[in-house]
Amino acid sequence: MSTLHVLSHSPFGDDRLTSCLRVIGAEDALLLSGDAAYALQPGTAPFNTLGTRGLNLFVLAEDAQARNLQTPDWAEVIDYPAFVELSIRYDKVNSWL
Amino acid sequence: MPRSLLIISRQSPWSGPSAREALDVVLAGGAFDLPVGLLFLDDGVFQLAAKQDARALQQKDLSANLQALPMFGVDDLFVCGDSAAERGLDPKVLSLEEAQVLSTGEITALIDRYDQVITI
Amino acid sequence: MTAVPLIESVMKFAIALFSAAHAPSSRRALLFAQAALAGGHEIVRLFFYQDGVHNVSSSVVTPQDELDVPRQWRTFVTEHQLDGVVCIAAALRRGVLNAEEAGRYQREAVAVVAPWELSGLGQLHDAVQDADRLICFGGA
Repeated sequence: MSTLHVLSHSPFGDDRLTSCLRVIGAEDALLLSGDAAYALQPGTAPFNTLGTRGLNLFVLAEDAQARNLQTPDWAEVIDYPAFVELSIRYDKVNSWL
Repeated sequence: MPRSLLIISRQSPWSGPSAREALDVVLAGGAFDLPVGLLFLDDGVFQLAAKQDARALQQKDLSANLQALPMFGVDDLFVCGDSAAERGLDPKVLSLEEAQVLSTGEITALIDRYDQVITI
Repeated sequence: MTAVPLIESVMKFAIALFSAAHAPSSRRALLFAQAALAGGHEIVRLFFYQDGVHNVSSSVVTPQDELDVPRQWRTFVTEHQLDGVVCIAAALRRGVLNAEEAGRYQREAVAVVAPWELSGLGQLHDAVQDADRLICFGGA
């Protein structure tokens, strides 16, 4: 089974990203939504970590746009229809509330 | 065949109603005879620390609810060993003896095994 | 990333919301729910837990220059005749009462009216059993 993990908290001063990255599996995916999109802020530790992990990484378009974050080529920008598709493509969704 | 549900409880017992509300989901599942599991992760492991005193905060003591889990048919109880160690808790001395201590790799496999998951 | 062929079938979603109406995650839940229906899928239940109960409150007054999420939920659920269930224990704790509970506890305000129903966590479990996918929104 594969899991789509969803984060929505900023990676700065919150341990959800760190915890998620410990338990995320090779077949899993990670969607950055809300303030979790800040993990794509260049020159930061989360950015560098994600850049080298080789994850199936997605970011919600509206959140990248609101924050003026450029999406690197190792992440895919998605809209809500694609979010729905992703939730189906992966066997289950684990939102880190 | 009923779908299995894993609840991942990440909050300490003293940070608000999250710990209790996570436990309520588990107990309800057990009451309905559903296959539910409970994993204590991150600050959630503090729920299992010994000799806590809820009365000092005029808060409900959850330890009775936790001990009741097997009576509700919930035997699949897990603790993240790394979370406990990082927080200075000896996994061997947790208040819930039935909880299996898991490594992060085992947690990945655990999440994989369940049909659905709620991380509170 | 390898593209996986999409199975063109109707999926049943259970959507659970844990954050208050003003939280960005609540709007995301709404947009996801709308996209799920637009994509031809079904929503077996919307379940409101923890602070999510505030989304159904008729007492919420959203600032004029912000998105009225409670109203949007109400419209969405009514238009599509969806099952919107609110955990009674979570709602009581947060002061989101229907007429029956307001009477029982002698409280001034009734905040839960149709289309919303107060019920127990059994409804969440029921939805989890019925749905192909459970998706939770909350936190921030």
